Amino acid sequence: MGSFAGRHIIDTADLSTSEIMELVELANRIQAMPREDANQLATGKILATLFWEPSTRTRLSFESAMFRLGGNVLGFSEAANSSVSKGETLADTIQTVALYSDIIAMRHPFEGSALAASTFSRVPIINGGDGAHLHPTQTLGDTYTLLCEKGRLEGLQVGFLGDLLFGRTVHTFVRLLARFGVKMHFFAPEGLNIPQYVRDSLIDLGADFVEREWTTSCIDGLDVLYVTRLQKERFFSEEEYLRKKNSYIINREALANAKDDLLILHPLPRNEEISTDVDKLPNAGYFRQAEFGLKMRMAIIAATLGVEV
Amino acid sequence: MRIERIHNGIVLDHIKAGVGIEILKLFPTEILRTKIDYASYVESPSMTTKDIIKIENIDVNPETLMKLALLSPSITISIIRNGQVQEKITPEIPPVVEGVITCTNPKCVTLRENYLISRFRVAWSEAGKIRKQCAYCEHITK
Ligand SMILES: [Zn+2]
Repeated sequence: MGSFAGRHIIDTADLSTSEIMELVELANRIQAMPREDANQLATGKILATLFWEPSTRTRLSFESAMFRLGGNVLGFSEAANSSVSKGETLADTIQTVALYSDIIAMRHPFEGSALAASTFSRVPIINGGDGAHLHPTQTLGDTYTLLCEKGRLEGLQVGFLGDLLFGRTVHTFVRLLARFGVKMHFFAPEGLNIPQYVRDSLIDLGADFVEREWTTSCIDGLDVLYVTRLQKERFFSEEEYLRKKNSYIINREALANAKDDLLILHPLPRNEEISTDVDKLPNAGYFRQAEFGLKMRMAIIAATLGVEV
Repeated sequence: MRIERIHNGIVLDHIKAGVGIEILKLFPTEILRTKIDYASYVESPSMTTKDIIKIENIDVNPETLMKLALLSPSITISIIRNGQVQEKITPEIPPVVEGVITCTNPKCVTLRENYLISRFRVAWSEAGKIRKQCAYCEHITK
């Protein structure tokens, strides 16, 4: 994995399609390894997790990935309104933490922060989410999930349901899928559709996508339904939220017309958008997705540390 | 309004109507002590309306040329020496512009970390407008 050693992972657009497949292969090899062997891969190495914005899920996934590789973890996670690094610039924090660690995973509320951090870091920066912008490790994990569950990307019909405007996971994922010939269907409440810059880059990539109003009949023909969180505060009014909310809930009833092998994914944590009565169905892929995400984060850490697997 | 001929200086023509005032701000304040002609919303055969600016006894450097073009891609600049047009310039916009444009995305890291130098990818859109995209947050600044 020489080509990844020392590299920053800021945006999946920086990776070629063959490099993406190399990471998938590496995740497969790690997946197949006995746990004790995987546990030797990053012995003596330190991952710093710098979370200027709380995201328990992503941070735990990175930390678990490092522990399962036999490495150590340090870092901070700020509560929404506190400021551990009050007054300190991003550049100073990164330059200091780069002395204490071999790799840095960061989440920051400002967009472009991971790219900025990478220009000051002598160790690899892994973007764990920058504002509503990008979330490449989630995207690589989701790509790995599709490949493990469906065996292919090309020709898949993938629906995206929910808040597509603020959903950074979606912004990164759809631009990757466009490069692999996936047909995408966007179903968002009015005013929460994909941002213009994402739409522009999909057009530049020659992507096959449609934007439609959601009804449960839209589920026909989909191979994958990727559901994202609907947050009340994103709606224009409480009434609109209450009016729309129920029509965006995926429950057993909403799946009546779905393909038997429809795969339902969700980046988690969920609110009410996927009813718990779906969890026991084989179609519910979101917990397996979290596990594939963990394996992919192990692969990303190993690759950027330059570990031979 | 009549625009007088100038002897030495520059003529900025084909400025997008109404943008002239922004263009004037790009020049050092010393121009306030020289003769300036500024005509706004002049009728022109090719553009319907445009602004024209003439400034006496001033030169433009390449950086200013680029800023002029970013503000008004249609601009032409004539350098006047001894009452003659010595050179006519249609400035080019480089594909990447650093430190000139400020990102308008309030969540952009370049606004929080103000020591960062802004970086924009610039391209012409199909509508003939320039598209300025922040290299950090990808937001498009109008
Ligand atoms: Zn920006």
